[in-house]
Amino acid sequence: MATVSFQNIEKSFGTTKVLHGISFDIKDGEFVVLVGPSGCGKSTLLRMLAGLEEITAGTIAIDSKVVNDVESKDRDIAMVFQSYALYPHMTVADNMAFSLKLRKADPKMMQERVAHASKILNLDPYLKRFPRELSGGQRQRVAMGRAIVRDPKVFLFDEPLSNLDAKLRVAMRAEIKALHQRLKTTTVYVTHDQVEAMTMADRIVVMHDGRIEQIGEPLALYDHPANLFVAQFIGSPAMNVVSGVIKRSNGSAIVDMGDGVQWPLHGSPGTEGQSVAYGVRPGDLALTSATAPGAVQGEIVVVEPTGAETELLIQAGKAQLILVTHGRPDVNPGDRVGLAVTPGKVHVFDQGSGNRVAA
Amino acid sequence: MKRGITWRQISTEAKLLLIGIPVFIWTMLPIYHLFLFAISPKESALGGQLWPTEPTLQNFRIVFKEQHHYLDHFWLQMWNSLIIAVAVGVLTLIVATGAAFAISRLKVRGGRLVMNLALFTYFIPAAFLAVPMYKTMGVYGILNNQWSLILAMVTIASPYSIWVLKQASDKLPYELDEAARMDGASPLQLFRLVYIPLMMPSLVAVGTYALLLAWNEYLYAFLLLSNDTKITLGVALGNFLAADDSPWELLMTTGLLYALPPAAIYYTFKRYMVGGLTAGAVKS
Repeated sequence: MATVSFQNIEKSFGTTKVLHGISFDIKDGEFVVLVGPSGCGKSTLLRMLAGLEEITAGTIAIDSKVVNDVESKDRDIAMVFQSYALYPHMTVADNMAFSLKLRKADPKMMQERVAHASKILNLDPYLKRFPRELSGGQRQRVAMGRAIVRDPKVFLFDEPLSNLDAKLRVAMRAEIKALHQRLKTTTVYVTHDQVEAMTMADRIVVMHDGRIEQIGEPLALYDHPANLFVAQFIGSPAMNVVSGVIKRSNGSAIVDMGDGVQWPLHGSPGTEGQSVAYGVRPGDLALTSATAPGAVQGEIVVVEPTGAETELLIQAGKAQLILVTHGRPDVNPGDRVGLAVTPGKVHVFDQGSGNRVAA
Repeated sequence: MKRGITWRQISTEAKLLLIGIPVFIWTMLPIYHLFLFAISPKESALGGQLWPTEPTLQNFRIVFKEQHHYLDHFWLQMWNSLIIAVAVGVLTLIVATGAAFAISRLKVRGGRLVMNLALFTYFIPAAFLAVPMYKTMGVYGILNNQWSLILAMVTIASPYSIWVLKQASDKLPYELDEAARMDGASPLQLFRLVYIPLMMPSLVAVGTYALLLAWNEYLYAFLLLSNDTKITLGVALGNFLAADDSPWELLMTTGLLYALPPAAIYYTFKRYMVGGLTAGAVKS
């Protein structure tokens, strides 16, 4: 159990700067997910915390103790690698006990810890097996077991699920989450999958090009993205974003796309004539009749029923939008429809800076 | 359709046999000759028969009991060959494993330079270095000492061994090192507990290579060792040809015996040379 603190962390590989001053704190017992597209520096940041990469500038502290010059093995952290990195010549039990053996731990205590971890992870029947005799999900659990037996201050996960198939990934996601709720160990988890981030995190750190775009609880990021990048990165299907200009007339405001389409603005964010990106989540769009007052005119392009939901691709002016509805609307490609936006669910961002325009 | 497949199979088999049979005959003929000489009595040894009329084990008896002046030190020379070959194998492994681990896993500075130099040594044939090596051993004062041959052979075997082991090391996933480091392993523990076990197939292959290289060496052994009690069996075999009336059947018998240990070593370690030990370490 520990807190982690990053202060102005910078990282350069040669002349290429990959992290530009990262600062944030992780509370004791918190599950923090670093998420971002590949190359954003999230794995590098994790590896710096692990002590596997040099820190170019700034400080990393675990439990208020700066660990910049502390070796990995003395930081009391355990890491689960994307490739599992199990020792192929050791049995599952030996893999899990390896770190304790290196510390010359008491054999009885070692056995207890391994038994405890294997029980948590349902690995009991496999203790005598070698990694090559296990399935992907089992190997993943051994990798986690290796971390658990150490009872470290911080767990680090580096894209642990990206080598698993979709079904197993969902199952392991729940397992890791349950494990955290049980052990309450401070956890830093790196992924490029925003769904993983949303479902697992207490707090998400969205990174892009070596900078933090936003930090917050999953739903806060979803409901109030601070900028266009976060808006488009978080949420699946991605938020619809169209660009236009704010126009005001007698108390109400609209965003004019310049192609005959005008989107309603609730509240009155921004200033007259401001170029903005107008964002609506697919679930916050609704179908109305094409003749309804104030409705945006559109034409159905594709209908994709998935059973529980129906995803519609709709052409509105020059823009193509995605609408997700829980019903099974009776529409066909080519139909003219009207689109309504759920009030209060509109996101407006400045076209130049990409930052959210306050309502 | 079925006929087509069968025909193709037959043609593939036939092609393989067409290549295989001549290669087999080509390889086995000299060995068969060796064997034929070894079981023929002295009088009919050069008779040119496919099977001797009176096969005998007399030649082996003479060799084992050292009953010929060329064979006075047969067992000692066999022992010399063995001890030198094993020493070369072990020393080469120590040198090459250390170098490969340092360069490939610890990524020490200058590693690339060492690798390039190792490659460069292959532009110079070993025979060119025989005389300089002789002079060097003279300077060290270890001529006619078996250490001179051991050191010379380790020098010759090391660069190639370093290359092979470096390539094999590079294939081990680096995450294993990182995982071990996080688990608290020092570089030496990493070497001993993770690297060596995983490199075992390559180590056996390289050790066997160096061992057989030393076992089969003639030129350096001939130059660096002179005393009859110091030389290897290979050099002793060459000495058979010093006179005009060489005892061919004894030469061939000794040669056959000389060829047995490498064959035994090869068959013992063959199964270790098959890879696959790293399967399951990472998903690739």
